[in-house]
Amino acid sequence: MTSTSTTALPRPLPPGPGTGAEPAARRGLTGRTVALAVARRAGSALAVLLGAATTAFAALQLLPGDPVAIILGPSTMASAQVRDQIRHDLGLGDPVVVQYLHYLGRLLHGDLGWSYQLQQPVSALIGDQLMPTVQLALAAIVVAVVLAVLSAVMTAGRHPALRAVASFWELVSVSTPPFWLGILLLTVLSFKIHAFPVAGAQGFGALVLPALTLGLPVAGILGQVLREGLEAALEQPFVTTARARGLSQTGIRARHALRHAAAGLVTLSGWLAGTLLGGAVLVEKVFARPGIGALTLQAVSSRDMPVVMGVVMLSALVFVAISTAVDLLYLVIDPRLRTD
Amino acid sequence: MRLARPVRLALVATATVATLALTACGSGSSSGGGAAAGAPKAGGTVTYALDVEPTCFDLQVNPQGITGDIERGVVDSLVTIDAKGAFHPWLATSWKVAPDLKSYTFTLRDGVKFTDGTPFDAAAVKANFDRVADPKTKSQYAATLLGPYSGTEVIDPHTVKVSFSKPFSPFLQGASTPNLGFYSPKSLTRGPDALCAGGSSIVGTGPYVFTGYTKGQSVTLTKNPAYNWAPQSASHTGAAYLDKVVFRFLTEDPVRTGAVTSGQVDIATSISPSDIKTVQADKNLTIRKVEDAGGTYAIYINTVRGATADVRVRKAIQLGTDIDQIVKTVYFGQYQRSWSPLTPSTPSYDKSLEGSLKYDPAQANKLLDEAGWTGRDAQGYRTKDGKRLTVDWPWNPPHTREQRAVVAQAIQADLKKVGIDISHPALDIGAFVALAGTGQYDLYDFSWTRFDPDILRGFFNSASTPATGGQNAANLKDPRVDEWTDAGAATLDTAKRAELYAKVQRQVTLTDAAVLPIYVPTKLVAVSSHVAGLAVDPNGKPLLYDTYRS
Repeated sequence: MTSTSTTALPRPLPPGPGTGAEPAARRGLTGRTVALAVARRAGSALAVLLGAATTAFAALQLLPGDPVAIILGPSTMASAQVRDQIRHDLGLGDPVVVQYLHYLGRLLHGDLGWSYQLQQPVSALIGDQLMPTVQLALAAIVVAVVLAVLSAVMTAGRHPALRAVASFWELVSVSTPPFWLGILLLTVLSFKIHAFPVAGAQGFGALVLPALTLGLPVAGILGQVLREGLEAALEQPFVTTARARGLSQTGIRARHALRHAAAGLVTLSGWLAGTLLGGAVLVEKVFARPGIGALTLQAVSSRDMPVVMGVVMLSALVFVAISTAVDLLYLVIDPRLRTD
Repeated sequence: MRLARPVRLALVATATVATLALTACGSGSSSGGGAAAGAPKAGGTVTYALDVEPTCFDLQVNPQGITGDIERGVVDSLVTIDAKGAFHPWLATSWKVAPDLKSYTFTLRDGVKFTDGTPFDAAAVKANFDRVADPKTKSQYAATLLGPYSGTEVIDPHTVKVSFSKPFSPFLQGASTPNLGFYSPKSLTRGPDALCAGGSSIVGTGPYVFTGYTKGQSVTLTKNPAYNWAPQSASHTGAAYLDKVVFRFLTEDPVRTGAVTSGQVDIATSISPSDIKTVQADKNLTIRKVEDAGGTYAIYINTVRGATADVRVRKAIQLGTDIDQIVKTVYFGQYQRSWSPLTPSTPSYDKSLEGSLKYDPAQANKLLDEAGWTGRDAQGYRTKDGKRLTVDWPWNPPHTREQRAVVAQAIQADLKKVGIDISHPALDIGAFVALAGTGQYDLYDFSWTRFDPDILRGFFNSASTPATGGQNAANLKDPRVDEWTDAGAATLDTAKRAELYAKVQRQVTLTDAAVLPIYVPTKLVAVSSHVAGLAVDPNGKPLLYDTYRS
């Protein structure tokens, strides 16, 4: 994972004298380049969304079993009349093609349908649950970036023993199941030492442990990528130049080399979004936090397909938005990618 | 008639009485008011950790028991039921049952108001029952409590007559549950999504008002200061003591246990039997065992398919399983094994069945020999005409709780010893319901909570097969069982019902061998010593009306 990500990077900024890369970048970026790039990206983004919608719909059709029986669950006393009413209300009696076209038509109007189990509009459910997850994800990113930068800047290119310690904690944090980590943090910091509240989304105190649980494994990966990048950057000739100008070792790491190494992290953004969304499912369950993860888990385990499809659409949208932003960002960062 | 509380939390403080202002309510027999030391105080909040979050808060639609647990304090019912199964007035001051059990006429209490100001009257009863019975409501549970409902007639504002197309004795028990409690007729017009979403759309007449819901987190109930119509079984009158009750959804077992042992919640339900030692070691906590009424956790043996169509094979399965040992080991001695398809707290439970199904592998082997399963294959399983004695028991992991998968493994191991091969494939819910709906299984397991022996009609009457949406998982067709369960539904005479249902329990367990009872579903509730007066009604619902902080 780590090695492929780093090799997939566009080469970092051409080693310019000092910090002179940015003015050059600004010079070559015309409105036309940007407009073309945006249009191209928007087209493919639409195709991806349509693909996601179709896949989600097809998956629903391929699942075995009568949808109504699944909605009602295995132990139910619902009468035949109730079953027929549910089938009728959900339009499950229509031919598949008609159902698909209805589904696409509603999507075009921004209507994600109604949850089978929660009996609420899916868009309202996602809207309500989005903020707590965004908060959690942002807090986790802060935790991850701070820890990764600290670890990388302090250990890159230093004594092997120090680096071994760093890669050890990175390995541990990446391999620890978030589920277990969450319970461990709760047991120590909430049940034994009453430092943080057990669960819920009330205030800052309740955000600390979930953000740590979600952020730690990410910090492990980011730390490794960052250190490799830093070590590569530290071997570049401009570092020698900077050193010759009398800059301190830490100054070079923090001000120059880190900037080059950080470009690698941009590529990881898509992966990061996926990890955070996936991790949120577990973290929100352990810490009993509201959010998209908790909603997804509930929807998947009760086969609440409209909600599952809504979450699929949301994640597709997030991924498309991030990868579009990243592609555009490369144009800003690396002038060599501008074809016009 | 003044009644003792059906069940009461014994909050007996330990020796350090000095630190405790209150040791009242220790016994289960006080009638009304906090006896002796320390009168109940008004005020404060109790936080109650639950293991499940409801998908929908509409009691008339949602079948989950947890919805009723939360809203028992929000809605009131027509009657209350005591531990013996006798009915007492609540929102109905009296009632008359037609001799044919086809109609019930209730006189309603005067001066009762919903928390939105609407008076509770006969029209409100009609609006609620009509909505439950309307197929458009898609009621998955409440409608079954109304059974063969044919309509409600408003005789005058305080008199209402509920009618059925067939004799229907289970109605009064259904009327005592929160699922047939009353929402304000005004709130019923807000649409199903508003009620399902909970919060202020849920308006009842109860001692608490449903004031807030944060999905994935908590429900808040606040005191209804105008409340003045508590049932006689309560120990005080007027408004509830607590200002607020907060239900927290902590779905992970270790988190719930940690939250209650660290004092972050006051009550935590469904403590895992493996955590019980930790909780018992805590001097600030008491463990309360609540045994569910209704259908015990049992395995229903298909009487019409494959090898289990032979009653000798079914009996061999019953005798070849060491249930005592399995239940003791898996549940750390916390759960009782069961002997009947009904749990001991259910009315008409047949106590004489206890001790009847003893582990007897020798007898099981003898029965299997008699049934012709005399060959053995390379793995040691029995065969007949070259075919192995295989018994199919499909299951679905997400709908399997309480270590039931471990119980199944133990049963599998026991039955292997007598040569029965239990095939126990874990299936996706879609594949599982497809098999279940068409009867393609030999064993099928479930438990069912309801304080009425009429559930036996659902479990064993031949009119209730899975194909028609019924619960007769054993596909039993026994004319005597049909006759007795139908007769039980047509009488309210307690002695007569006890006799009929005892016959049913004995017949299906010992003669038909259609069921293998395993254990009594039990909730282990941890309660802080700062909380007193918490009770649980015979339907298994927590009663927070008399609860206070001490």
